[in-house]
Amino acid sequence: MTAVTASGRLPIRYVYLETMRQLRNVRAMVFTFAIPVIMLLVFGSTFGGQVDPTTHLQYLVVTTLQMASYGAMMAALSQAFAIVNERSLGWNRQLRVTPLSGWGFMVSKVIAAMAFAAVSIVITVLVATVGLHASLDPGRWLAAGFGIWCGVIPFALIAILIGQFAKPSFAQPLFMVVFMGLAILGGLWVPLSVMPDWMGSVAHLLPSYWLNRIGQMGAGATGASGMTEPAMVLAGWAIVLAAVIVWRYRRDAARQ
Amino acid sequence: MNDTPVIQLRDLRKRFGAVAAVDGVDLTIRPGEVVALLGPNGAGKTTTVDLALGLSTPTTGEALLFGGEPRAAVVTGRVGAMLQGGALLPDMTVRDAVALVAAAHRRPMPVDEALRRARCTEIAGRRVNKLSGGQLQRARFAVAVVSDPDLLVLDEPTAAMDVEARHTFWSSMREFTDAGRTVVFATHYLDEADTFADRIVIMRAGRIVADGTPAEIKAITATRAVRFSGVGADTHVALRGLPGVVSLEARHDSVTLRSDRSDDTLRALIASFPQAHDIQVVASTMDDAFLALTADPAAAPTDTAPKGVLA
Repeated sequence: MTAVTASGRLPIRYVYLETMRQLRNVRAMVFTFAIPVIMLLVFGSTFGGQVDPTTHLQYLVVTTLQMASYGAMMAALSQAFAIVNERSLGWNRQLRVTPLSGWGFMVSKVIAAMAFAAVSIVITVLVATVGLHASLDPGRWLAAGFGIWCGVIPFALIAILIGQFAKPSFAQPLFMVVFMGLAILGGLWVPLSVMPDWMGSVAHLLPSYWLNRIGQMGAGATGASGMTEPAMVLAGWAIVLAAVIVWRYRRDAARQ
Repeated sequence: MNDTPVIQLRDLRKRFGAVAAVDGVDLTIRPGEVVALLGPNGAGKTTTVDLALGLSTPTTGEALLFGGEPRAAVVTGRVGAMLQGGALLPDMTVRDAVALVAAAHRRPMPVDEALRRARCTEIAGRRVNKLSGGQLQRARFAVAVVSDPDLLVLDEPTAAMDVEARHTFWSSMREFTDAGRTVVFATHYLDEADTFADRIVIMRAGRIVADGTPAEIKAITATRAVRFSGVGADTHVALRGLPGVVSLEARHDSVTLRSDRSDDTLRALIASFPQAHDIQVVASTMDDAFLALTADPAAAPTDTAPKGVLA
């Protein structure tokens, strides 16, 4: 059961089994899922029903999307640890004596990352709607959630980059720097409106800002150009990261 | 029918900085051969295996599998491998691990069939991190055969196995080789090479130092030990001069002559030194051959080797 693509066959069954294997370890991700929910409960219930002047959305909705973005990003980035761990065990070495290509490997990890991101997004939105009664049109929730979900692709690629190419001892600190940087500077922890101006300019360079933005746009925030602009920026990030991964993968293979 | 070599290595070299891990290896392995790759740690066995499988690129020279690029043979599933430092994921069951690797292959054999061949049916539901050393190696063997390969490459397959586990392992290997498939295994266990391989390749310091059947390899050192007592130290010079003698060791009253023509040595010994008693003639073991071949380069027995056997 394979699909033929330009760069070789993608073993669909492998991608499916790999994703199911990772989802079976969902217990290891409990903290990843819980942190955005806890932050949502704290911030969301504090600011509640007021309306955010920049997006013209309910503060609770803004916070929900922010936390959904944060949770989805964290779920996707955590693939870095899975990959580092698998590398140290020698699993990757075993995979290299199979037809699985670099592309196939990358796709399997992106899909697993998206599966975890989906869990995090759904939990966060459910807590907001059922628990905190955030009010938004269901279609809008769907558009926002779907936008964030697709928007995690560049983060999955960042995780692959860290997991595949950072030395094991270096992966942990690198992960923390990247993760904290993206969360704080991208405005996923604290809204950018309460931050200094220069941070707003930095934020516009980061995919995490646009991840949050695509959610807000999906939810119908006023201003700017809808979901297209953030989608384009995130797609650009994904293309650049994928190119770097493929380049590094080839260089790595040639050097060994 | 098809005599394209399964593995062909031509003047293969691999340098890591200043170290030449593989230093000019030429090797041709034909279909159906069961080849043992012997050598001390650091001899370049694992690097040679990696180069042959296309997991690393040679500094110079070339490695071909089935007459083509190694990766092409891997992609078509013609190669199965148990690699050193290649492990299974600890939280999976044996069956899931085999199924996952099977899913990456294009035409795998049924998972149950791979499990049966590797004697893993009973441990199929067990998690990888709950397996004993021998069971783990069997699980890795199941993963290696699931693509139904024509060539199996095993890097120290029986490391961490007890005697019984090794026996089980080699009986499943027999089943595989009886079907005419090619097996290359690296090992430290000389008796394994002697018993299971029909060809032994010995490596030292990145080169092949000997290549032949187990009997030929033993013949390289070609010596038997002629051991006896009752002859004084003043006769040692004369003893060294007996036909076929290549070395002499004396311990207390006992003398051991290493000879490449033990019959002649024995006849001359009895004729010239009738006082010799407790005479034994002992065949050299695989260990003797191995130690002789992998000793430091200066001591390598190049001059005692039969023609065509020493590479």
